[in-house]
Formats: sequence, C-alpha cells, structure tokens
Amino acid sequence: MDRLPRGRHGLSPEFVARNQRERLIAGLTQALYEVGYQKTTVSLIGQMAAVSKSDFYKHFESKDDCFVAAYDDAIERIREQVVTACEATGEREWPYRVRNAIAALLDLFSREPGLASIALVEGLRAGRGVYDRYQSAVESFVAVLREGAPRPQEGTEVPEATDEAVVGGIASLLGRRILAGEAEQLSELFPEILEFTLAAYLGAEEARRIVSAG
Amino acid sequence: MSAMRPELPREFVASHKRRRMMDAIAELTAEGGYEATKIADIVRRAAVARKTLYDNFDGKEDLFLSAINATVAEIRDRVEAACAEADSAEGGIVAGLEAVLDYVAEHPAASRMCMVEAISATPSSARLYDAAVRDFVDLFRNSAPEGSDLPVTIEESLIGGVAWILQLQIRRGEAERASELLPELSQFVLSPYLGVGKVVDTGRRK
Repeated sequence: MDRLPRGRHGLSPEFVARNQRERLIAGLTQALYEVGYQKTTVSLIGQMAAVSKSDFYKHFESKDDCFVAAYDDAIERIREQVVTACEATGEREWPYRVRNAIAALLDLFSREPGLASIALVEGLRAGRGVYDRYQSAVESFVAVLREGAPRPQEGTEVPEATDEAVVGGIASLLGRRILAGEAEQLSELFPEILEFTLAAYLGAEEARRIVSAG
Repeated sequence: MSAMRPELPREFVASHKRRRMMDAIAELTAEGGYEATKIADIVRRAAVARKTLYDNFDGKEDLFLSAINATVAEIRDRVEAACAEADSAEGGIVAGLEAVLDYVAEHPAASRMCMVEAISATPSSARLYDAAVRDFVDLFRNSAPEGSDLPVTIEESLIGGVAWILQLQIRRGEAERASELLPELSQFVLSPYLGVGKVVDTGRRK
C-alpha cells in the first residue's frame, strides 16, 4: 500500500488514520510471511508500513493486537471474495457455484501469499485466542459449501460431517503447501481441490466429468 | 509399611517415572495450555522430584516434545497393527481409522496435546505435528484401495479432513465419544474410492 504524500495534502485526519491502520495490517501480514512470527517486531511492521512506532501504538496496543486485527481483516477479505464469486454464479447449479468459489479463493491466495499464510498457517500457530477465529472462519465456509449441496440419492446418505471434513481438508492441504513455500503456486491445485470437493457429494466419476468439462 | 517391601527393578521405576511425567504434561497442557503449564505443576502432578525431571529431560519443551513423539508412535503402532489384520484395503482403512478414534477416546489428554496444543505451543512442536500428518498421509497412501485417476493430493485432503473433525471433537470436550465418528468418517475417506453413500461395513470387532 502506498504511503500518503508528506506535508499539506488536505486529507481528513480520519482518512489518514484509516489509511495508516490498513498499512500497518498489510505491513504485519507481509512481515509474518517473510520472516515469521518471532522476528516480526513492532519496528519491522512500522518500517514495512512506513508508519512510525509511536503512530503504531495509536492504533494497536501490541503486536498481538495488530495480529488479531490483521487476522480478522484477512478472513473478511477472503469471505467477501468467495461470497462475490458465489453470487456471480447466478442461477447455475451447485457444482458451478463451488467451482467459482474455489477458483476465487485460490486466485486471491496466489496473488497475496501473505494473506494466505496468515489465514491458514499463522492463525493456527498463534494459539488459543486466534484458533477460535480460525475455527469460525472454517465454519463460515462450511455454510457456503452446504448451501445448495445436492441431497443424497435414495438409499444412500452423504455423512453429516462431510461439509466440515471437506473444508477442513482443503484448509489443511493449502496450509501444508504454504508451509512448503508454495503459496504462489496454489492456483495450480484448482482441479485437484475441485475434484476432491465434488467427489465427496457426487462421486469420483461425476466429479471428474465436471472438472474436465471445465 | 513392611520393611520387607520388595524392591522394583531400577529400570522399571525409571521408565515408569518418565511415563508419569509425560502423562502429567499431557494432562496439564490439555487443561490450561502449554504456556500456563509450569515445571512445578508437572513434578507435583507426576509425583517426582524436580531433579528427576531434569535428569530425564532438558526442560519443559523437551518433555513436551518427547511426550508428543511417544504418543504419535503409539498411535502409529496401533494403526499399523490394525491395518495388518484386515483382509482388504477397504477393511484396513476402516480398521486403521477405528484404531485412531479408539485411541482418542481412551486418551483424551494425550490426543489433545498432539492434535491441538502441539500446533500452537512452540515452533518445534508445530513441526512434530506437521511431520505426524505427513506420516499418516503416507500410511494412508500405502493402504488405500486402488483408485484410478484420483487427484494426487487426495490423501492429504482426506487426512486433513479427518484431523479437522477430530480437532473439533476434542475442542468441544467430546474426545471420549470419538469412536462414534467411525461410520461417518469411514464413508468420508472411502467415498472417493468406492462412491458416495455406499454403506461401509464398520462392524466393530469388540
């Protein structure tokens, strides 16, 4: 995020404050991605955001306070991306909704590996307070997936835990790839993740048909 | 107490003490988290001298990591033994899954330590968690039924999904009922291979 011009700029104090806060969140996210949690200091965050240390403390009490804000912000942006993609599907069937949602998710992650990392790796590593946030973020995607999912055919049943296991499985796979330093290549997993997701509801053959039809 | 009390072999006593310290850290981290668990609490819970702890381990983290390693090794052994007894790939997966769920139900604190606390306690414990997941992915890959053209990441996604369901169950404080998840989770992990909603025989052998 670009820093604001120095000196007189006629920008309102509220605008400047909001802009600083956003830059600090972006700075922390990037610092975490580049050097990890331990080495991410308030000075480094300020440096990356081009915000002074004293201004940092006007917005956040501590590094952890900034971390939690950045985490909430990341989840909100991811959710927005996924919901927008689902809405853009319009009246088309559930598999297309899922396809668009997964594509949008991976696209965002590939463009912003730091965002992917805070959401799927650092959040889990941060301990009890943030783990609850990670869990409720996963739950919110479960709701997106469940909406409009095909009802089981007669005589069979899709197990109750399926939605949660699918979303948890995707989150775990992506987290492991990010840890392996492959955050920028997450988009390449698109066909695999789509097939895994659809297969849990429609069976492997039907899933493969939809994935290869594009 | 009788003066004739028989003396237990020294190695037996030593390994029993190690076991008690590992159990104690599992219980304490499950109750209050790794950060809040102090050496003083551990030695009190294990009923050993502080010196005994330092004779056996470098400190709290070393004890924690040793306890995680011991638990993961035990779960692996049980899974491998269960798989080996089965007469089909499908049966092996169900038996292996059953072994994991039964372990979680019988050892809620140790399971929480490995599957929940390890992830956020220290960088080394997070690495142990990741390595354990990788091991179980390999184990699953080697035992899975033949599935033509499934995505190469399928095992990672399935194991990740099972781990997530177990973490939710543990965090809800319902680890003791983990075995009840067997029918659902068996279907979930086998559906890519056998089809959705196929009835999976989980006839428990106990």
